[in-house]
Amino acid sequence: METAVALLLAAVVVALLAVAGGWILGWANRKFAVEVDPKVTQINDALPAANCGGCGYVGCGEYAEAVARGDAAIDLCGPGGSSCIAAIAQIMGVDAGGALPYKAVVHCEADRSQRLGLTEYNGEQTCAAANLVGGVQGCTYGCLGLGDCQRACEYDAITIRNGVAVIDPIKCIGCKLCAAACPRNIISMVPFRQEKMLVIACSNKDFGSDVKNVCKIGCIGCKACTRMTSFITMDGSLPTIDYEHYQDGMDFDPVLAKCPMHRLILVGTPSPKDLADTEGESVPKVIEAQFETTVDKTEWRG
Amino acid sequence: MDTFITLLLLVVSWALINNVLLHYFVGACPFLGVSKRVGTAFGMGMAVTFVMTIASMLSWIFTYFILRPHAPVPQWVWELSGGAGDAPFDLTVLSYLLYIFVIAASVQFVEMYVRKNFPSLYKAFGVFLPLITTNCAILFICLEISKRLQDPLKLMPIYEALTMAVAAGFGFAIAITLMAGIREELELCDVPKPLRGAGIALIVAGIMAMAFMGFAGVESGLERALSQFR
Amino acid sequence: MSSDLTPMERFIRGVIPENPVYRQLLGLCPILAVTNGVATAMTMAGATAFVLICSNLLISSIRGLLKPHLRILVFTLTIATFVTIVDKALAAYLYSMSKALGPYIPLIIVNCLIIARCEMCASKSSLPHAFMDGLGNAVGFALALLSISTVRELLGAGTWFGIQILPQSAWPGWGVLVLPPGAFLTLGILLAIVEWYSKRKKTSAPETSTSTEASAA
Repeated sequence: METAVALLLAAVVVALLAVAGGWILGWANRKFAVEVDPKVTQINDALPAANCGGCGYVGCGEYAEAVARGDAAIDLCGPGGSSCIAAIAQIMGVDAGGALPYKAVVHCEADRSQRLGLTEYNGEQTCAAANLVGGVQGCTYGCLGLGDCQRACEYDAITIRNGVAVIDPIKCIGCKLCAAACPRNIISMVPFRQEKMLVIACSNKDFGSDVKNVCKIGCIGCKACTRMTSFITMDGSLPTIDYEHYQDGMDFDPVLAKCPMHRLILVGTPSPKDLADTEGESVPKVIEAQFETTVDKTEWRG
Repeated sequence: MDTFITLLLLVVSWALINNVLLHYFVGACPFLGVSKRVGTAFGMGMAVTFVMTIASMLSWIFTYFILRPHAPVPQWVWELSGGAGDAPFDLTVLSYLLYIFVIAASVQFVEMYVRKNFPSLYKAFGVFLPLITTNCAILFICLEISKRLQDPLKLMPIYEALTMAVAAGFGFAIAITLMAGIREELELCDVPKPLRGAGIALIVAGIMAMAFMGFAGVESGLERALSQFR
Repeated sequence: MSSDLTPMERFIRGVIPENPVYRQLLGLCPILAVTNGVATAMTMAGATAFVLICSNLLISSIRGLLKPHLRILVFTLTIATFVTIVDKALAAYLYSMSKALGPYIPLIIVNCLIIARCEMCASKSSLPHAFMDGLGNAVGFALALLSISTVRELLGAGTWFGIQILPQSAWPGWGVLVLPPGAFLTLGILLAIVEWYSKRKKTSAPETSTSTEASAA
């Protein structure tokens, strides 16, 4: 008899709890309902949920809300790519407008052999620290090569080759973290209208001999490139490219040849000709010094 | 004064000595997942404390009135159905079901409430709330409270259960925030590749657990020191 | 994605390639707590296996009835029922073990592993798939528990399953390993070893990498 009562009581308690719980939650669901624009959910689903912050918003959810409100452009998502932009355009009912993939480019090509005025820097091995210290190298504009951008990149697109940062445009997804990390602000986002884009590979704003004293290959501000194209203008002694007015079909070989310091370069996917040209070359092995000590491997040398 | 001493001992015990995370290992999954930034870790710790308090209060009420041996409700039903004397059954077998239901429902309710009325707070820790439903720490505290309600002669009063829950939550928050601080520093260090991420986090947690072991004896020492005031 | 795996493949996946502890990092609370002895660890493994397989089977049978917003609750309640069964059975037949395991048996309810398997597999696949998936993950979990508890018990107390292996005089025992810190340390180091081994297998495959890491200093 007691088992019957016990079972009945147990069943009743559980049933009552389920009913009460369901009723309370149902009431709460209605009472505390938050008006969510269905577009926000749709856009959020279209985003890659990487939460990289490249769009400038904290997380994909924030960006979705901003787009739904109309505050944000629809092409800010780097990892999403053109498929994501197309999906958002469809949800928002706007024209995708042929949004372009943006990729990061380093505006400096000088490696350690080409830089002048290098000093022995034994401080904290980060670009931010070296930038503050000053006097680390002759050129105060160019790449320091201590790898802040490389550490910021989560897609393995950046390598430091002989003291200069090199970004692989194929691996780069355009999240802009490296651009934010560079203390000298020499990484910019270039819209890749074509497979290969013309880029100014120098950030030195000084003129003539001032540049030659600090770098063997820095831009001397001769303005020859501005005379060859309409979209290159001078910002002081440094040329800049206006990518809005970029001439897509132009043959850039004469422009590349015109620059005496060869600071105009093409960045992008290697063409079959490029691959064939470098077929036989092997990448030289860099010998890394093995400073093995019994002390830990921290960078601090104070 | 006696109450105060009991409460103080409870707080010291559950926040530091028997730290739910470093001594009992509960809540280890969010510990590894959320402890990368001090801000998020603190938010998670506060969210866990908040949910722990609500869930433990509700489960105390259910346990006291329905689930424990010699609870009033089964006794009343037994007498209603014509039985005499003490009810020969109790509903402790429903404990796990009830606790988990209470936790899940209260978390859901709190999430909806916070989302509607405190949108900024929701942005801060709302995203953790569904994670907390399966947090071992909450269920663990409910079970510990239920343990202390088994002996009809030594029932833990509700304010002690409340103190215990809050202290345990703070203990979790302390552990997870400390861990986040250490992990932020670790990012600047040269951790060997296999150890990166979970490996080094667990080793650091082990060292933290060793440090917290140093608190052993504090409780009995305090008990002795304060016994003269009881 | 769930329909292109045969049940046998699911089983094998759960054991090592997608080992719930070493690869998925699920279910850490019970692992850290019960691995101070091989006997307790194996009991926990058996209990978890029972709950996992039964829950998988039940959820798979009722998968057509699950509403999306209520499914986590349904999973949790199903698991709670089976855990109650296991707990009472252990208390009845293996009382000392039940006391040793203490509050960690009920914590199987919130073991992320079981909810994850229900969510990922059981709610979307048929009974044979669910069964093999549960079995595979249970075996993987047991393997993980066995490895960790062997290290802890052997090096910490010199025994294995209660049998004295390392003589007391020769091996005083690293006491910390059977205490809470030892759990974290052992798991951390074993995770690192598994990570290193799996990465090693990956990099031994030929990679046509053309970039070189130049030394920054």
